[in-house]
Amino acid sequence: MMKEALSFHIKIDNLSIGYMQPGKKPFILRDGLNFSANSGEMVALIGSNGIGKSTLLRSVVGFQDYFSGDVLVDGRPIKSFSTHERAKIISFVSTGVVSISNMNVFDLVAYGRFPHTNRFGRISEDDKNIILKAIKDVGLQGFESKLITQISDGERQRAMIARALAQDTPVIILDEPTAFLDISNKYEIFHLLQVVASQQQKTVVLSTHDLNIALREVDKLWVLMQDQTYEGAPEDAALSGKMEELFKNPHIGFDTEEGEYFFKKQFREKVKVIGGGIPLTWTLRALNRQGFQIVTDASPDFTITIREEKQCNWVLSQKDKPSQTFGSIYEMFSHLV
Amino acid sequence: MAGRKSNKTSIYFLGLGILFFALFLLDLLLGSVVIPVDAVIKALVVPQEVDQATKTIINEFRLPKALTAILTGLALSISGLQMQTVFRNPLAGPYVLGISAGASLGVALFVLGFSSIFAMGIFSSTGAWPLAIVAWVGSFGVMLLVLYVSTKVNDIMTILILGILFTSATAAIVSILQYFSNESMLKAFIIWTMGSLGSVTKGQLLVVIPAILVGLLMAFLKIKDLNAFLLGENYAKSLGVRIIQSRVVIFLSTSLLAGTITAFCGPIGFIGIAVPHLARVLFKTANHRILMPATALLGGSVMLFSDIVSQLPGMQSTLPINSVTALIGIPVIIWMIVKNKRFSSV
Repeated sequence: MMKEALSFHIKIDNLSIGYMQPGKKPFILRDGLNFSANSGEMVALIGSNGIGKSTLLRSVVGFQDYFSGDVLVDGRPIKSFSTHERAKIISFVSTGVVSISNMNVFDLVAYGRFPHTNRFGRISEDDKNIILKAIKDVGLQGFESKLITQISDGERQRAMIARALAQDTPVIILDEPTAFLDISNKYEIFHLLQVVASQQQKTVVLSTHDLNIALREVDKLWVLMQDQTYEGAPEDAALSGKMEELFKNPHIGFDTEEGEYFFKKQFREKVKVIGGGIPLTWTLRALNRQGFQIVTDASPDFTITIREEKQCNWVLSQKDKPSQTFGSIYEMFSHLV
Repeated sequence: MAGRKSNKTSIYFLGLGILFFALFLLDLLLGSVVIPVDAVIKALVVPQEVDQATKTIINEFRLPKALTAILTGLALSISGLQMQTVFRNPLAGPYVLGISAGASLGVALFVLGFSSIFAMGIFSSTGAWPLAIVAWVGSFGVMLLVLYVSTKVNDIMTILILGILFTSATAAIVSILQYFSNESMLKAFIIWTMGSLGSVTKGQLLVVIPAILVGLLMAFLKIKDLNAFLLGENYAKSLGVRIIQSRVVIFLSTSLLAGTITAFCGPIGFIGIAVPHLARVLFKTANHRILMPATALLGGSVMLFSDIVSQLPGMQSTLPINSVTALIGIPVIIWMIVKNKRFSSV
């Protein structure tokens, strides 16, 4: 069983997706899509809003039909599986918050055993152990009898992932699982999924808008762009320049050195900064945010000198004005801007 | 923790069982004529030892009425529970699919539509049979329409809205029929809409009981799927539920349960909405393996209680059962709204 699970891979082969429109021609959103993922890999599907990420995932999970091409799971077309068989191969987590009153974490995770239990849903001792292990794997032990309406969004999303783990499928598909979470929970979930993929040799595919986190955490990117697609390691995507093409927006730039997206602004005055270490990094960031152009020599409009004594001080020297000293970046900007 | 919880559940079930049985006996005991406890029990167990009058009152009137009350309570409550889960809407009840509207239309067409001597004699000569049959035909007609739509439409909310539209459309037709009908027919129809447990005869129970049992069986077979529906249809599908097939069985069960009761007892409101909520509050669970039997038991008890209240013990007259269930059910719903605040989640 475990051996079999090791070999699972997903292949999206020349797939055409979209919607049926009653009385009209079917609306083809995307066609000719080709992606693949192996077991043990965590894949992030990225692309701008409305580009077809959800539709692609829905087609892979079997929530909606596709027009042509195929989704192959271990070489077998997904359409050839019955609903019940599919539930043993692919589990799904959506972005939506599940809120059911009077339901505790254990019962929520126990849903994962659904395809494995008898027609009355009796939970055996084995099922119970699998459920408890899944709860432990996502770091929710001790939460078993807490009501899901009384835990945080991050904890609830982890419980939903535990449910997918308890379903014991070789493939886990997640549609924007981190959309409503705070930054620390986003990192937690990405890391958790990364661990799940590598340790349990599962194929994890998620769609996300958290590009900066995805670039650091996932093994592979599936990039959906307007007229093309790309797949590869995040680093390959950055080097090939695909990250910059992702958004057809001239104001969005990709910083290849930092591996981060930024918003391009109209430059204001030129500024020269003297200083070092971490205060320098954050001062540059602040100036960048405010749209100042940072120069090393070429005739700056003003100069900022960072003085590190007991605490940081920022000395601002503008032309034809006496220099001023500030105790924080915020104070300096309220003077400058 | 799990052990303690299941212990508590068993205790609640035991308590509910005792309450249910006590209400059942009380319902047989009380009425326009008060019959002592020992006579009631004798009439049930050793009928030859009690006088003819007592035997007749118990066996021909009170027992069928008490059984009808139990069947009505559990049927409406179970169909309400199923609808609330499938539609993920706490205010859903047996009425949302237009089941009772269909029944009303059938009855209205029959009673008000035939302005003939034949129709005048419905209540006196043929008993409630023709009325029951037309109501049944009406509710199943609407149900078939909804079922047909539900196999075509994937979105459950669309079906809910269609159910509401069907209800409004039939209500409009019923109004027109009422407008053009004469006084005595109008009265016959209004009396049917008030609902009655007492009009169901022993012979009719032989139809009602199997219909309800089949409906219950279908509901109990779908317990697992109902649990999955709580997560929403997408999750249910990802867990391996065959949505359309499952939905058809659940709708059939609901229609059989609510349609049969509406046909024979008239449209009885608020039990279907209120009782599942009482079960959830009492047992603090969302699991249908507990909720289903709990709702059935509670529904039977609540309806027995309503029947006891409606016959105003010691007096000659009775109240319309529909008013009693409304006066019991509505405060429960208001209390739920106020207490829970987040009434939006089932």
